[in-house]
Amino acid sequence: MTKTIYEKSQKGQHAYSLPKEEKVFQAYQPDPTLLRRAPLNLPGVSELDLTRHFSEMASRTWGIDTHFYPLGSCTMKFNPRVNEWAAALPGFRRSHPLAPDEAVQGNLQVIFEFVQFLCEVSGMDGGTLVSNAGAQGEFIGLQMIRAYHAKRNDGERTKVLVPDDAHGTNPATARMAGYETVSIPTNKDGDLDLTALRGACNAKTAALMLTNPNTLGLFSAQILEIAKIVHASGGLLYYDGANLNPILNIARPGEMGFDVMHINLHKTFSTPHGGGGPGAGPVLCKAKLQEFLPVPRVVKEKQRYRVLWEDSASIGHMASFHGNFAIYLRAYLYAKLHGHAGLRRIAEGAVLNANYLKKRMEGIFTIPYPQACMHEFVVQADRYLSQGVRALDIAKRLLDYGVHAPTIYFPLIIKEGMLIEPTESESKATLDRFIEILHAIVNEIETDPELVKSAPHSLPVRRLDETRAAKKPILKI
Amino acid sequence: MDFVANKEAQIKEMLAVLGISSVEALFEAIPPTLRKSAPQQEDGLSEWEGMQLMEALAAKNTFSSFENYLGAGAYEHHIPALVGAVTSRSEFLTTYTPYQAESSQGLLQLIFEFQSVLTSLTGLDVANASLYDGASACGEAVSMALRCQPERNKVLLAASLHPYYTAVTKNYLKHLAIEVEILPFTPDGQLDLPHLKAALDENTAAVLIPYPNFFGGIEDLKEIFAQAHAKGALGIVCANPLLYGLYASAAEIGADIAVGEGQPLGLPLQFGGPYLGTIACRQEFVRQMPGRIVGETVDVEGKRGFVLTLQAREQHIRREKATSNICTNQALAALASLSTLLWYGPEGLRKLALTNYQRAHYLYEQLRHVPGIQSIGFAPFFNEFALRFDRPLKQVQETFRKQGIEPGIDLGRFYPEFNNCLLIAVTETKSKAQLDRYVEVSRTL
Repeated sequence: MTKTIYEKSQKGQHAYSLPKEEKVFQAYQPDPTLLRRAPLNLPGVSELDLTRHFSEMASRTWGIDTHFYPLGSCTMKFNPRVNEWAAALPGFRRSHPLAPDEAVQGNLQVIFEFVQFLCEVSGMDGGTLVSNAGAQGEFIGLQMIRAYHAKRNDGERTKVLVPDDAHGTNPATARMAGYETVSIPTNKDGDLDLTALRGACNAKTAALMLTNPNTLGLFSAQILEIAKIVHASGGLLYYDGANLNPILNIARPGEMGFDVMHINLHKTFSTPHGGGGPGAGPVLCKAKLQEFLPVPRVVKEKQRYRVLWEDSASIGHMASFHGNFAIYLRAYLYAKLHGHAGLRRIAEGAVLNANYLKKRMEGIFTIPYPQACMHEFVVQADRYLSQGVRALDIAKRLLDYGVHAPTIYFPLIIKEGMLIEPTESESKATLDRFIEILHAIVNEIETDPELVKSAPHSLPVRRLDETRAAKKPILKI
Repeated sequence: MDFVANKEAQIKEMLAVLGISSVEALFEAIPPTLRKSAPQQEDGLSEWEGMQLMEALAAKNTFSSFENYLGAGAYEHHIPALVGAVTSRSEFLTTYTPYQAESSQGLLQLIFEFQSVLTSLTGLDVANASLYDGASACGEAVSMALRCQPERNKVLLAASLHPYYTAVTKNYLKHLAIEVEILPFTPDGQLDLPHLKAALDENTAAVLIPYPNFFGGIEDLKEIFAQAHAKGALGIVCANPLLYGLYASAAEIGADIAVGEGQPLGLPLQFGGPYLGTIACRQEFVRQMPGRIVGETVDVEGKRGFVLTLQAREQHIRREKATSNICTNQALAALASLSTLLWYGPEGLRKLALTNYQRAHYLYEQLRHVPGIQSIGFAPFFNEFALRFDRPLKQVQETFRKQGIEPGIDLGRFYPEFNNCLLIAVTETKSKAQLDRYVEVSRTL
């Protein structure tokens, strides 16, 4: 069995080194009454053993660099190493967030120019990079929407409309921002139910939060009508930019009628997912909401950049400092490498890959929405239920074949659903291999369903007992 | 340039399978009025051009050539070379939230170890996989304390909490009909205890105290949290985790929830982020905890393994009833902190904290005897302190900068009553020679 680092501890061993002690420093000793009494229970491990520990853990972890990773809704595209190189430059790495403006002009230029670039891509007028993740972007956006209504003395708007296929962050954020949520159903074509939307929109509507293309991978052909309905009620439109990748320089949320939005840089702009983060979720908005953007902001005055730390109309601070600078720095370079022309090739490549995969999955899975998809699509594994095989089982069996499973059971409205997003950086050969693997698994379902139901068989562990983990939580060593 | 894999040959084959002649056909759902025409010109850079651009921008940041005494929530520390080796590993860098546990056992185990290390530091029972940063961790902790005691709707924040943390925390609460009261500090920088006593009532859900406070000061928080508990309120401490190497743990001072900014342990300054929000709490509050948590379990053969657990708290399951909206967190930053803590080990961490304490005190003792410089009387402190200068701070800063030293943060910017005061942070990165030079320059003012 693999040991934890605590189990690898050997008394007295360590890796650290500290600067030379000076006699004059020894005179200073802290007040003993304030000191720690309980022993500090950290393992003692040599640097080689530590290094091996992390290597061992790496060998038990799959990333984009090691495996095809078609995790829908997460845009697991290639993370260029040149981004990592840039973030490590000492000029960026060593700069303090409260350094004088004149000493960090490079950083401020990056912030200023990247907000401008994202405005061009999104069709918005202003923005902020302080948001540390997509969900934090939603929280900022809803606070700006609240500030907008409040300024117009329209403070009775208490409801945020959220489609039933929305990311879980949307309703969770609405609640955090003090709103009640109203769920809007999806129609049989996978688009928002307009009758339900009309019925839900009224003087209480603060906003509709919408992902477009939605979480089924479908672009809403009704988007202009949706915007009209929501705006007619006095509500605003929030764009969840998690799915921006397929429409980069093809269509712009600002022109669809959205008023405020976020972009997940760790999805569309290739910054590494890092095992769950850090990400970045810049917020962009129309001119009418610009005054409410959080601080700090960067302004340009006579070729010099300056940080505006406070502003009376702003919703205020939403991060310790400037947000995840070294993340949006990577995204800035990614944008510069592509230019607008390159971004469009991303969108086209992502959409072509997804449609190609979807076409080739006909006959393997139920395809609930036959129309062209954008960067991702849902399939249903429901036809295998008669053999007792669920989407979860297929997901686990895929692992045995060296493919990371797609997102499963999301959106929640799809029975036995798998959400598949190949991204533009995957080659046709990889997609073809994926199809071959699926055919092999279908064959197994027909001949030996137990093999699939008990997968995975070739990973470091077999299927794990999640119920036990939740019932009797063991959360530390 | 781009990173699109398929080129003309493959595109042709794929279009043929789809039975269409152009990719355009796939975008027909987008109303024509919204569809943009393709850019006519290639406007991207080559990798070399991109590198040149970034080097030029980095070179505009002259700050990196200064000896840096800035703190206020972001500190220059040595980062072990091991950390870069860990965080640049492809497997960790390019994986995502471990939804498929079997293919993420390494990452899950490391997060489990991170949780373990944090509980060791704080002395509390459980920790999560990370939050965004120190500021949002404060917001989450206070929201959590309110959920633990839904009948209460008031929280107390120390005025000596980082002002941006206070601002963010207020933003987490402002839509929830919560009363926020700011607790003042006494002339020696300590929390005003009589004021605390008066403010605490049956309606108070929590008291949030920084450790050390914004001025670097260490207080005896035991008494503060004992008073909070006497009124049924929860004690929340917001700490620099390095402090725990030397000073009393969160559990020892009586905190129920401990949040913090993990940046000092393994994360570069990088202009404010990514940093690392941490949170730990007592067992009884675990189901109100925000964010990802990893738990130990077994596989069908009884072999130990790790999974994301207690997910019924989270947005992807509970939607509007979730404990928080957090989804993406700071996992890779947590690995940086974990590897740093393991590199130091228990004895190393204690010595590191002591080294910080001693070097800061050495500089402080030299400076306060320099004519024209005065202590503001905030003691005891850890690795950061404030001094008042008898002349405009701009002049002081300019003198230091001419000598290649960024001498500290203008405290008056955050607290107008402390005009002409510098907040000076000293870590293990400053040698005796550097500290002596700081003193020399101060004598030339």
